[in-house]
Amino acid sequence: MVGSEAGLKGMRREARATVQEIGTSRATVVIPAYNESASIGPVVEAVLRAGYQVVVVDDGSRDGAAAAASAAGAYVARHAVNLGQGAALQTGIEIALRRGAEFILTFDADGQHRPDDLEALMAPLRAGQADFTLGSRGLGAMVGAPMTRRLLVRLAAWFTRATTGAALSDAHNGLRGMTRRGALRIRLRQNRMAHASEIIDQIVKSGLPWQEVPVTVHYSAYSLKKGQKTTDAARILLDVAAKALFR
Amino acid sequence: MMAQLFLTALLAMTGLYAWAASRRAPVVGGAVAVASVLGLYFVWLPSHATWIAEHVGIGRGVDLILYVWVVVSLLAILNLHLALRAQLELVTVLVRRVAIDEAEAADGRIEGAGETVTQGRLATGAPAAKKRASPGPL
Repeated sequence: MVGSEAGLKGMRREARATVQEIGTSRATVVIPAYNESASIGPVVEAVLRAGYQVVVVDDGSRDGAAAAASAAGAYVARHAVNLGQGAALQTGIEIALRRGAEFILTFDADGQHRPDDLEALMAPLRAGQADFTLGSRGLGAMVGAPMTRRLLVRLAAWFTRATTGAALSDAHNGLRGMTRRGALRIRLRQNRMAHASEIIDQIVKSGLPWQEVPVTVHYSAYSLKKGQKTTDAARILLDVAAKALFR
Repeated sequence: MMAQLFLTALLAMTGLYAWAASRRAPVVGGAVAVASVLGLYFVWLPSHATWIAEHVGIGRGVDLILYVWVVVSLLAILNLHLALRAQLELVTVLVRRVAIDEAEAADGRIEGAGETVTQGRLATGAPAAKKRASPGPL
């Protein structure tokens, strides 16, 4: 294959060509990153190879993650201070909209997500069947996940069902897709992990069609150490309760 | 009498604070306002506090007043927390604005640098430098 023979630069050229061949389906993948210098480069390169444009929002990292993302070929924006994944996602969504993206997908920086799943998220959006697609570990797979994480996923889905009415099998998955129309209805105010519940709430309230898509998430020692802790659940509950009291 | 006047002034200020906060945090502001009014009532009619306390199973009127004051304090702390969250939202908007502006400025500098060099070199007749490829439209 030409791409593999030409090396990384060749793959990038081929990736851009693929985007152009898609025509008007301009899709941007937004990756929030905080101290992910170890993984962000390969993640960006893999997403670029899959044919997407990449926007990385560096959330006040101190380990050179922004430089690594930029070197890998991403469009990088940097928060001067660490605000949280929700804040970084909202920044990335706004950047993608400003740059004319017709489709916006979200992806984690720690290597847990597979670029192959981006196409699964895109298909219903491109076909006009949905304005939002939500990756689901419940419908897909969780490879290498400890039992506590599996239980936490179920608990989060139950909580989201109770608070929003949305019957989801996975409420806190960083793999999501949205059309431009859908993205314009999202306005995340929860800076930290409670944004995952907030985005579901806003999707449901938008009245726009959404659907879950099976995805596979690979857990490694690195991603488990960096990812959500079980104790984050208490913080998320407090943030959601505080939002209910605050206008 | 002095103590009653002092407590009245304090509770009146708390009530005003609650009223000012009620637009941003209606539930907390309303609860603090109600607690402040109750407090004012018991300051001037302490015998009623004893009567109510006996009927709700607390015991003494002064204990009831103490519990009401604890509730008012907790609600005031909650309100401060909500005010801090409002400040954090403003900080977030500012940090986001700076991040986007800096990224767009850097993008513009990268795209513009090649043109500037090219123009300069064309003006002197030297070979034009290659313009750095832009990432293209999304």
